[in-house]
Amino acid sequence: MTSIQMPQLGETIVEGTILKWLKAEGETIERDEPLFEISTDKVDTEVPSPVAGTVTKILVGEGETVAVGTELAEISSGEDAEAGAAPTGTAASSASGSASDDAGDERPDGGASDVSAPPVPTAPPAPAQPAAPAALQDRGPRSQILSPLVRRLAEEHELDLSAIAGTGTGGRITKSDVMQAVASGGGGTAAEPVGASKAAAPAVTPPSVGVAATADETVEPMSHIRKAIATHMLASVNETARAWTMVEVNVEHLVRLRERAKDAFLAAHGVKLTYLPFVVRATVDALGAYPQVNSRIEGDDVVTPRAVHMGIAVSYDAGLIVPVIHDADVMNSVGIARAITDLASRARAHQLKPDEVQGATFTITNPGPYGSLVSVPIINQPNVGIISLDGIQRRPVVVEDDAIAVRSMVYVSMSWDHRLIDGEIATRFLARVKQSLETWDFAEDLGV
Amino acid sequence: MPRHTWLLEPPGHVPYAVANEAMHDLAERRLAGTTPDSMILLEHAPVFTAGRRARPEHLVWSEEQASAFGAEVHRIDRGGSFTFHGPGQLVGYPILHLGPRPDAAVYLRRLEEAIIRAGVELGVELHRRDDVQTGVFAGDDKVCAIGVRLMRTRVTLHGFAINCDTDLSWFRGIVACGLPDNGVTSLSSLLGRDVTVEEVRPIVRRTLARVFDLDYEEAPADELEPFGSPLVA
Repeated sequence: MTSIQMPQLGETIVEGTILKWLKAEGETIERDEPLFEISTDKVDTEVPSPVAGTVTKILVGEGETVAVGTELAEISSGEDAEAGAAPTGTAASSASGSASDDAGDERPDGGASDVSAPPVPTAPPAPAQPAAPAALQDRGPRSQILSPLVRRLAEEHELDLSAIAGTGTGGRITKSDVMQAVASGGGGTAAEPVGASKAAAPAVTPPSVGVAATADETVEPMSHIRKAIATHMLASVNETARAWTMVEVNVEHLVRLRERAKDAFLAAHGVKLTYLPFVVRATVDALGAYPQVNSRIEGDDVVTPRAVHMGIAVSYDAGLIVPVIHDADVMNSVGIARAITDLASRARAHQLKPDEVQGATFTITNPGPYGSLVSVPIINQPNVGIISLDGIQRRPVVVEDDAIAVRSMVYVSMSWDHRLIDGEIATRFLARVKQSLETWDFAEDLGV
Repeated sequence: MPRHTWLLEPPGHVPYAVANEAMHDLAERRLAGTTPDSMILLEHAPVFTAGRRARPEHLVWSEEQASAFGAEVHRIDRGGSFTFHGPGQLVGYPILHLGPRPDAAVYLRRLEEAIIRAGVELGVELHRRDDVQTGVFAGDDKVCAIGVRLMRTRVTLHGFAINCDTDLSWFRGIVACGLPDNGVTSLSSLLGRDVTVEEVRPIVRRTLARVFDLDYEEAPADELEPFGSPLVA
């Protein structure tokens, strides 16, 4: 028997509405024949059966909205039953198998394997998260993304959705929230958001007793975020085979460009122009050229996302957090500059949404503004590497024709995980970042 | 590695039903693995289409009124509400296989990104809106509608429609995308000059290629046949 679950059609899509069952209980179905249609808040699709067999049970009715991974139906396949195959697990394991086999480009001739991929995989394993984000409560405005069902219910009952506390993932308003609000006369339920409490820091232990404050010292319990950062950092040091490589980059032309363009850039885009967007852009390019640096270890597999989700380390009052520029590989420097400013300012205002601190495929830290010359960062697991952009310095260097001149120079270095990549790749990767920073004409990218 | 992609640019004003059928046919074959990815770029004859979330009251004109003005009304299988397609609007139907782990949200964001980049090249600042699922806006006004469906969760159907020099009075016939408070605009209105589909087409073609990493090849001539011969004005 095979259990059919609500498929995950994207990392940010957490639920779906059953529009229509295309098969009734008792009907037979072929493998890859459409079984039901769903509507998510992004897109509609029909979902095919991963196996041939008979629909034995339909568990969720049309019009109902359920979370990704919810069991929707059961299909018994004659062969499976005779062979005594395990339920549920089969679909999931072959799905992940085909995903890793078939991460490459689709070709009509060679890409047949994807056609046979079971379409109802369990949710892809969420990459292990930086600890700091896990401790961040979503204090910002709740996501306005509503399921079609919730929207319809709210309209029917003329509810003010802004007055309802969402208990779904990420503080989203669910059907039961709406029903509860209806039952309580349309007022806001005071329920504590489940998403937030789920995301709360791990073990909450009371401050240790036995250490008493004296006149010479103060004693304060560690904050949850501090503890989470501690755990995450220590785990990274324990688990990764960290190595470190540094290059020196001549950023003379970037310094000049920034001086020249910063006022116009601020006027045009409302954000300050820093050096970080240039480094993000060059790093994204290098990740495209060396995708293994964008990968992660999962069990005995190497998982390499095609998109680049760039984590940017941001310090704020509670500690350190790594908001993520999703799909940084499709952004130009202007988009990146805006995203950095937006994420950093909302991080400092404690207004990041859970999605925005998850899923980094690589991380950049930028201690330069604080005056560092060289830093050796700890890898933000499960990433392979983390780049540190340190401080830009005017110093004498040897230029063309063996002359000595004063140039703006910076050290760009990377801590990398020797379990996954070796020195050659790490060094070529950094050399590409260096070359891009030294030779690209970012003026065009900035539109100045 | 770039995606090998057929480029289909049927000429003239293609009737909606014809393009819809050809698109589904291409998607079926893409799913079966007998054709590569495709990018269809075209202009439609006037038509109102109703997505699955379309509510009857969002069609301001009656169907009879609409047809009196020369527009058809079609109910179709994409998500979203009502929209209008017609002359002066560049419509794109990417038929792309999203692979074994399709991410619909990322796909939509990339479509938007391609349009936003085209805006940059044309000199107009476009953006997404956090409170609206899809589409590309200038200020509060929508300049590009996006509505997508997946075939068997894997191959994309439908796509985007960017107003170049569309006659915007057509949009009075509907509450566009179910958003009564939003206006609709066009690149021509935004730039204060006539911006034609033919001016926008190569730009969008290029930004789509960059965002989705497409390597275009002109589709075999017989693939254009289902779209019919151009209507001669």
